[in-house]
Amino acid sequence: MNCIELEESLVESEDGSSREQRAHLSACPACSGLVEELRSIIATAVELRGSAEPSPQVWNSIEMVLRQEGLIRPQPTPRPALSSFSARWGWARWLAPAAAAVLLSAGILLYRASVADKLAQQVSVAAPALDAGMDDNDFLQEIAAQSPQLRPVYEDNLRRANEYIRDAQSAVNEDPNDAEAARSLMDAYQQKAMLFNIAMDRSLP
Amino acid sequence: MGALRDLRQETMAAHDKSWGSRMVSKRTVKVIAIGVIVAGTLAAESKKEYHFAVGSKAGVSVMNPYGSIWVRPSLNNTVVVSAILHSDKVEVDNNQSGNRVDIQSHLLPGADSESGRVDYEVLVPADASVTLHSSSGPLHAEKLHGDVTLEGSTATIDVRDVSNAHVHVKTLNGAVTLNNVQNGHVEVDSLSGEVTLTGVNGPLVQVVSTSGNINYIGDFGDSGEYRLTSHSGDIEATIPEWTSADVSARSVRGEVHDDIPLQPKFHTWFPIRAGVAFAGTMGRAAASSTVVLRTFNGKIHLRKRSEKQ
Repeated sequence: MNCIELEESLVESEDGSSREQRAHLSACPACSGLVEELRSIIATAVELRGSAEPSPQVWNSIEMVLRQEGLIRPQPTPRPALSSFSARWGWARWLAPAAAAVLLSAGILLYRASVADKLAQQVSVAAPALDAGMDDNDFLQEIAAQSPQLRPVYEDNLRRANEYIRDAQSAVNEDPNDAEAARSLMDAYQQKAMLFNIAMDRSLP
Repeated sequence: MGALRDLRQETMAAHDKSWGSRMVSKRTVKVIAIGVIVAGTLAAESKKEYHFAVGSKAGVSVMNPYGSIWVRPSLNNTVVVSAILHSDKVEVDNNQSGNRVDIQSHLLPGADSESGRVDYEVLVPADASVTLHSSSGPLHAEKLHGDVTLEGSTATIDVRDVSNAHVHVKTLNGAVTLNNVQNGHVEVDSLSGEVTLTGVNGPLVQVVSTSGNINYIGDFGDSGEYRLTSHSGDIEATIPEWTSADVSARSVRGEVHDDIPLQPKFHTWFPIRAGVAFAGTMGRAAASSTVVLRTFNGKIHLRKRSEKQ
């Protein structure tokens, strides 16, 4: 099994528990990282449904589409992904929207943009939730506390990512059936999610 | 030690010459100062080397907050890690678990971007999957055919001569250069760094950037999906005239230029307006790749490659 086959097999068994999956995952850090991230995303999505920030409708809509596509299944015992992250970083205030952005990105990765109108629906449902929960100032303050010299870099990139999101959202609003506009909006959110991810990344001091 | 010996001899000679007049030349002071700095640096710097026996398709991961990582193929099934530590405020943690090798620079209290720096040179079996993380970089991988994942914030990233592999790159503002990546599954995400792809092809080649420019120089393969997207950066694709591809390009607020004649397409997701969008087929439609170029504020230019290029 190679990386592409592994990704395809995750549609059937997203926890990487089959024999072939385990064999590949033991030798491939990229794929094992992907599976680990998917597990965390699924667990975090379940936990986040109980938080006050995004409305239940948002999560229900995202989850419904992903379940319809067979990409996720119920998790009986969610892993405490949030607590482990926050114990290390203490950045849980902005982790929730970041996780939502990552969830959205994972949806893109696996969903493969097969149905344009569903794509547009996903974006229009998820986008307001991310805007509502995202606190950029908290994020930048944490960056300044951890690595003061990197704050200008993150500040500049965050501003640009937000401009990207605004422009892409405008394009979707102008024509909700424009699949390319919907994809751009997802790309924009993915860029912002990447900014948060890199900040959380263990390679950062 | 030779530098120290020279320094001592020169210092003593200078001392003898100027003893009578109690004058020390400016040149001697400079030499002493440089010598002290060099000696201090040599004393703090240390080199470590680790060897690991692995099987085929091993996994190798290097996490390095500050400093470079160079990865090249080894001659046999071994992983050789050479690390230059720039001070005693950083250590190298290494761990092998089966077919997987993990290397991590461990910063000790008080370490900063200088004292915490470690420069790695890593030799891996060519079929190994490699994951590299560094905040400052640079990151470099070459002549591999296993999957390659590179992440950095300000790190410049350079990948070359890679085939039949996933190549995933994430960076904030470091420049990304991919050269001669064949049959790759390539995904590059860059917030503001410039991305240059030369001779890159495969089933999927995707670049997403917020404000960085994207340059593609190549032929778009023969059956892949190529998506180059930037919010405010410019996108330039330089391709030979014989390229076969379905191309669509759109700039919401910028402009598009097309040097190559296209057979127009009649069904597109967006209105075709001269100067801001174009879509069409070039070359043999039956064996062609799909190319999507999209930007909001930047310019898009589809250029014909000259004979000299």
